[in-house]
Amino acid sequence: MAKVRNWQLGRAMDYPYDAPRPKKQFCMVMDTNKCIACQSCTIACKSTWTWGKGQEYMLWNNIETKPFGFYPTGWDVNVLDLLGQQGWDGDTYTGTTVFEAAPVGEKVLGWKPDEADWNHPNLGEDEPTGTAGETTYIPDTPHANMWMYYLQRICNHCTYPACVAACPRQAIYKRPEDGIVLVDQTRCRGYQECLTACPYKKTMFNLETRVSEKCIGCYPKLEQGLQTQCTTSCIGKLRLTNYVSTPENADPRKPADFLIHIRKLALPLYPQLGLEPNVYYIPPVHVPPEYLEQMFGPGVPGAIETYQNAKDDPELLGLLMLFGATERVISTFDVADGVARGYDDAGQEIVAVPLKEPTFVRPLEFATELKGEPVTGFRHNT
Amino acid sequence: MSEGGITRKQAVIVGGAGLVAGSAAVAGVAIRLRPGKPALVSSELTARFRDAELPGDDPGSNDWRHADPIIVPLQPQQVAQPFLQEATIHELVARALHNGKELGLLLEWGDADKDDLDGIGVFHDAVAVQLPARAGTTPPITMGGPGAPVHVLQWRATWQRDLAGKTGVDQIYPRVVHDVMPDDILSAADALAYWPARAVGNPVSITARTTAVEEIVAEGFGTVTHLAKQRARGGATHDGGRWKVAIAVPLQRPEAGDPLLPDTQWPIAFAVWQGADDNRGARKHIAGWLTLGLEGTA
Repeated sequence: MAKVRNWQLGRAMDYPYDAPRPKKQFCMVMDTNKCIACQSCTIACKSTWTWGKGQEYMLWNNIETKPFGFYPTGWDVNVLDLLGQQGWDGDTYTGTTVFEAAPVGEKVLGWKPDEADWNHPNLGEDEPTGTAGETTYIPDTPHANMWMYYLQRICNHCTYPACVAACPRQAIYKRPEDGIVLVDQTRCRGYQECLTACPYKKTMFNLETRVSEKCIGCYPKLEQGLQTQCTTSCIGKLRLTNYVSTPENADPRKPADFLIHIRKLALPLYPQLGLEPNVYYIPPVHVPPEYLEQMFGPGVPGAIETYQNAKDDPELLGLLMLFGATERVISTFDVADGVARGYDDAGQEIVAVPLKEPTFVRPLEFATELKGEPVTGFRHNT
Repeated sequence: MSEGGITRKQAVIVGGAGLVAGSAAVAGVAIRLRPGKPALVSSELTARFRDAELPGDDPGSNDWRHADPIIVPLQPQQVAQPFLQEATIHELVARALHNGKELGLLLEWGDADKDDLDGIGVFHDAVAVQLPARAGTTPPITMGGPGAPVHVLQWRATWQRDLAGKTGVDQIYPRVVHDVMPDDILSAADALAYWPARAVGNPVSITARTTAVEEIVAEGFGTVTHLAKQRARGGATHDGGRWKVAIAVPLQRPEAGDPLLPDTQWPIAFAVWQGADDNRGARKHIAGWLTLGLEGTA
């Protein structure tokens, strides 16, 4: 075991290999508050990467309803159950990770999903639960305490991937140039150790080629400076493909660094597992914080407060408006004079979005319906 | 071992040195497999010389009666992670013949389940033979080590099934309904892109096979390298809760290492995978080094 620094845990931890950080780290930021589970991302991914025979059940990207949705069934509650109750002391994790809790003879504490666990991608879809207490936005209604929300899931392209740790053939590797985790299709021999080890269950077995496959972070797009398919197809504009630094190297001009390290608005998924996952979530504001803290760590209350006050934070508001505004990867951004601008690596402007759209009030005399004439058009309130 | 025709005989141990410690309840027994000599627990496997074509892909051939069977104790692999936590079989019966050109092996073990289709969390049965690549060496049992290569012959039930052309999604889920698949509408060359591992020539992924046995070389766990020229052949049957696997490989093996000459002795080791018990990769049953003696041809 090597000692590695996991900033999400606020401490060093044991990992089977001395894993140097990549030059850049691919990441994605998801604003859970904006998702309607339309699965446009899922279909964009599926139709781009996994429509081959043998990949039928594969959803490298999926949207699931929390708390009752899972793909595969029980992916998160099973590993939490295995790990047992753990704790945080402020921002420092005092519990054990899936690497530190590995049984004798294993690299990772994991569980093997059964075939049937992959049968229900829509399990629990839209099912609410009734423990929201006072967090609901709609008090004094019969359903005041109900809550559910949508969780957007791709491979986390972890800094310390469990799939990489568990592969006995080193067939899975992390690209040094951008931190994307890939399965070498020439080396994999189909042992499926990665399926057991990955707590997020984002490696999958191809039934025809008999080896593992996984989300590739749309690296062919990324190499051209473009955001991923799931990002650019998102009609809710809730995703941002970007790169994240370590906290000590955080640059407030960089979108992901700003959201994750400066505003601390976007949080990792189950950081306590120890993989330093690199998909970051703006937590839903209407969900009981105890549930969210289990899922996103101790930063939840601060993130929700920041999000609820975003209207008074033009820089943050501007950056959120750059989500979904361009197919290109935004290297740096700024907000000035009511306009949010994104720039590429060379500092060239690639997108500009006003914080407030200009409005046009249609003069009353154009309102044909008032004159008893057929309605010829209407202003869409976008 | 309760399969038909197999009865335990009196305790006999032949050449106990080198037997694997910890093998359960098998030391010193003999079993009768079919007309011929009884199998004895032994660490010495003799490849009898037989001046005839070897039944290298026919485990049911009567020619195997000319070989002396031995019982090889097995234990769970617990040297390298991941471990096989628990052994579910404890012995393998091995026979060997050679004809001056090929080495033939017949390997048998009890397995109630025939697992020959890989699936999600579903694994196949397999057996492997390990030989040093170089004469006069005894590499680490752990699939060799750096600078100490081994030559491995692995038979997989999946590959046996491939030979009959009955693998893949349509076999795993016989009632599967597909809309349009890439291979329905694209040329074979273009459709290959939708089977990435097959497109890059991963030997695990190729179902159009000519043999159920793969020849590899390795210098330690995780270093398996598929030989560019595959010469081994094999065949198998699963009857009465028992696998019988025949494997044959040329004595001349230039891609793998030094030739296996008559009248020489070699370390030999075995591994067995029980698919139904989630055996795969390093999660396997293993036997430590035994001695393979190739009879002289005179």
